[in-house]
Amino acid sequence: MASWVAMSPVKGRDVDQAELRVRLSASLDEARTQLIDATERGEGGRAALARHAECIDSIVRELVETARVHTHAPLAVCAVGGYGRKSQFLHSDIDLLLVFGGPIGRPEERFVKALLHPLWDLRFQVGHHVRELGDFDRLDTTNPEYLLALMDLRVLAGNRELTDKLAAVMKSSAPVWRPQILDALVTLTDQRHSEFHDTLYQLEPDVKDGPGALRDVWATRMMLRLGGDRRRGTRGPSPDRLSDAEEFLMRIRSGLHVDTGRNVNVLSYELQEKAVDRLRYVGGDMRRRVEALMTDYFRDARSVTRGLGRVRRAALPPAPTPIRLIGENLMWVVEGITFADAAVAASAPAEWLRAFEAAVSRNMPVADDALALMEREQQRHVYTPEMFYPTPEHQRRVLQFMRPRPGLSARLSEMRDCGLLGAMFPELNEIACRVTRDFYHKYTVDEHTLLTVRNAERLLTNPRFGPILREVHAPELLVLSLLYHDVGKAREGDHSIVGAEMAAAMISRLGLDHEASQTIDFLIRNHLKMSRIAFRRDTEEPEVVRQFASMFGTEEQLKMLVLLTLCDVGAVSPETLTPWKEELLWRLYVDAYNHMTLGYGDDVIDRDQALVAALQANRPSDISEAEMAAFLEGLPRRYLILFTHDAIYRHVRLSRDIRPNEAHFFLEKKAEAWELTVVSLDKPFLFSNICGVLAYFGMDILRGHALTSPAGLALDVFQFADSDAFFERNSQGPKEFDRRLREVVGGETDVTTLLKSKEGSVLARRSLVRRTPVVHFDAGHSQRYTVLELVADDAPGLLHRVSRVISDSGIDVDLVLISTEGQKAIDVFHITRGGAKLSEDDEASLKADLERMLKETA
Amino acid sequence: MKLIKAIVRPNMVDNIKEALGKLNIAGMTVTEVRGHGRQKGHTAVYRGREYEVSLLPKMEIEVVVPDSAVDEAIKAIIGAARTGEIGDGRVFVMPVEQGYNIRTGEKDV
Repeated sequence: MASWVAMSPVKGRDVDQAELRVRLSASLDEARTQLIDATERGEGGRAALARHAECIDSIVRELVETARVHTHAPLAVCAVGGYGRKSQFLHSDIDLLLVFGGPIGRPEERFVKALLHPLWDLRFQVGHHVRELGDFDRLDTTNPEYLLALMDLRVLAGNRELTDKLAAVMKSSAPVWRPQILDALVTLTDQRHSEFHDTLYQLEPDVKDGPGALRDVWATRMMLRLGGDRRRGTRGPSPDRLSDAEEFLMRIRSGLHVDTGRNVNVLSYELQEKAVDRLRYVGGDMRRRVEALMTDYFRDARSVTRGLGRVRRAALPPAPTPIRLIGENLMWVVEGITFADAAVAASAPAEWLRAFEAAVSRNMPVADDALALMEREQQRHVYTPEMFYPTPEHQRRVLQFMRPRPGLSARLSEMRDCGLLGAMFPELNEIACRVTRDFYHKYTVDEHTLLTVRNAERLLTNPRFGPILREVHAPELLVLSLLYHDVGKAREGDHSIVGAEMAAAMISRLGLDHEASQTIDFLIRNHLKMSRIAFRRDTEEPEVVRQFASMFGTEEQLKMLVLLTLCDVGAVSPETLTPWKEELLWRLYVDAYNHMTLGYGDDVIDRDQALVAALQANRPSDISEAEMAAFLEGLPRRYLILFTHDAIYRHVRLSRDIRPNEAHFFLEKKAEAWELTVVSLDKPFLFSNICGVLAYFGMDILRGHALTSPAGLALDVFQFADSDAFFERNSQGPKEFDRRLREVVGGETDVTTLLKSKEGSVLARRSLVRRTPVVHFDAGHSQRYTVLELVADDAPGLLHRVSRVISDSGIDVDLVLISTEGQKAIDVFHITRGGAKLSEDDEASLKADLERMLKETA
Repeated sequence: MKLIKAIVRPNMVDNIKEALGKLNIAGMTVTEVRGHGRQKGHTAVYRGREYEVSLLPKMEIEVVVPDSAVDEAIKAIIGAARTGEIGDGRVFVMPVEQGYNIRTGEKDV
């Protein structure tokens, strides 16, 4: 309350109202002209706004003097809100508080009118509160905006006795209402941020109300005043940094008012171009200058947001969380996860990720002091990306960290803000604060990217797409692809291709295997294709679906692409992914999935196709062209996509000199799982018998394929988990497996008898989930086969039992796709009887047999 | 003036926009809608489970044209949206009493 104007306690002056209005109008015009001139010079900041406010103060004081003629009551006229802070923009409202020392009667009402009417005539937008001094004994807490406005109260005119009383009342009752104001401020801030979807990275930001904008600067200062030192040791924002950010935002906002002639605060594309000229951004074309402006804007807004976050957490009462160690050099404190020993943490950047891992698993933030430490150390030292994941174990942890789950995107945001994300993945620095100008995108490229990860988290609970996300084998590759899908926007050229090329560096640094590398490359290169086809092509046309499905080698890629598309479209703006678009994507996914799993048997390898040519061209010298061609004859085209050239050459060698009742196979460990590849001459019960041997040894079949050629060659490939560690615990295990498989395929041992000996042991493991099995026949997708789809709780020996029921019915198993998704088995059999599709009677009978078997073994 | 409302396949919007553009009809409103006409949806199967697709995604295009251009506009829409298969959509024509430009306040003639 620095400003005081003493006035007569008895009566005001009689003046000529018309003359007064002309004079005040001229005075106001002059003040506005000064502010406009300063704004045009790029100086419409704090000092210019204060001068503008002081001129308005003079006008208000003169009007108070004039209106004083109507009442003898003691009174005070105060500026509140932004006007109280002297942040008076060209077209901002002026908020006044009028306080009377006694009851408000007709004379006081006349005073109010005599003050407000001339202000309205001068075209001010006036917000006013009229109160009696007694009202302050018990504060109205139902109006949080009013409470907050009081915090910036500045007396413009009034009786000294009354204003002294007002000051004393406010001071004495402060301990009572300050907590209420603090709560109101936190609530209002959260509400305001939610209107902007809690992100400051808006391409057309609101420089007054948006996250990180002017109202947040004020909220930060207010919380510091209200919260006091509730939590000592918490670092507030640097006053200089906050002040600099405020000055920058004020200059921009002043320009908006001048450019639009109204109280407009959204820095639209058009107004960004005007702002760069006004604020003297030079060099490069307009796009570059605008990007420079917006980069400065986001830097300041981020600084404000982080400062506000720190102050907000410090101002509120701490939650009753004990401080405790939760791992190597990590502590769980009130503010979140932090390092127990800062010096140790500073010297070990490869361990920083652990703090974020711990934070995700506890769904809490990384504490400010830990973030500040990481930021500071990066300013002091030069780190290469590899220093954050120097060993295969560190690289594995990075991948593990990227698995989508609640809290991941929030932690990635923290990593971005403290610089760690860009240090680990430098390609992401190129899209920091990057502006995309089109009719659709609402956020900067980096923010859009992190929102895609948030969408991936949210998909987990989506009834349609959640199960698909839970099914994919390597969801961390989806998140890595999301992080890199738009990095190409930083450079010239098709951003899908450029992005894939930029991701190759990351793939190499993380030591990802060929399959993972192919997946990420595929997803980034094709990240726009599914939405284009779903939204712009006639997907009821089978050829459109066929062409789309032909993009994919496996259903896994299709699943990843639909998930990536959903996350990407949903992060363009809150309105972009409508239920309508989601429906179109779902239908295209289902049609393509059905095409790939139900119709692939008809699409056999063509000698002339490019994939065969490549296979022949790279053929090792021990395989002749004729041998290669004979092996491929009649196999589904899918085979060429599923397997690498080397794997196919191995299959050719396995098939050599094969005789009836023989099995040529190899067994190898691949990452976490084992893989069994068997080549044999097809015969009834072959597939069932091989599955039975795997069940006998307690192996859980994860996924696999069974293919038969018209020449009678059967190729079965199984990936399985050795859940009981049989191979690990038995040095002779692989030999034993080898012997049993040969005996069973050769017909020397009956696998059913073998399995009976295991009942009550490995076969007793049962899924905890109880879902009704689905047995469905499709006769439409394939011209050659009846397709049997089976979805059931996974159980040891399930595949053996199912295929045995089929073979018992005299039905041939020609092709099989095997997949397990969590505790659910999804198997697709292409079957025939005597080389033809099944009759309806066959289907009904087989369905009944399968359902009976599933019920009996449930 | 007439309001022409066309319910069309989603992938036909660009064709229609282009066809109307050739008639110098540039202003249009496009809305994502779902519904069914005689094409009452169908049953789809995903992993052996059937689900009903009763409401089909369509686009609704609205254009206001002078009376003199109505026939040509309808012809252009039908020509651009037609595949000959069930589900091509519908076109409705309604009278418009008055129209105003909000920015200028001028009344449409």
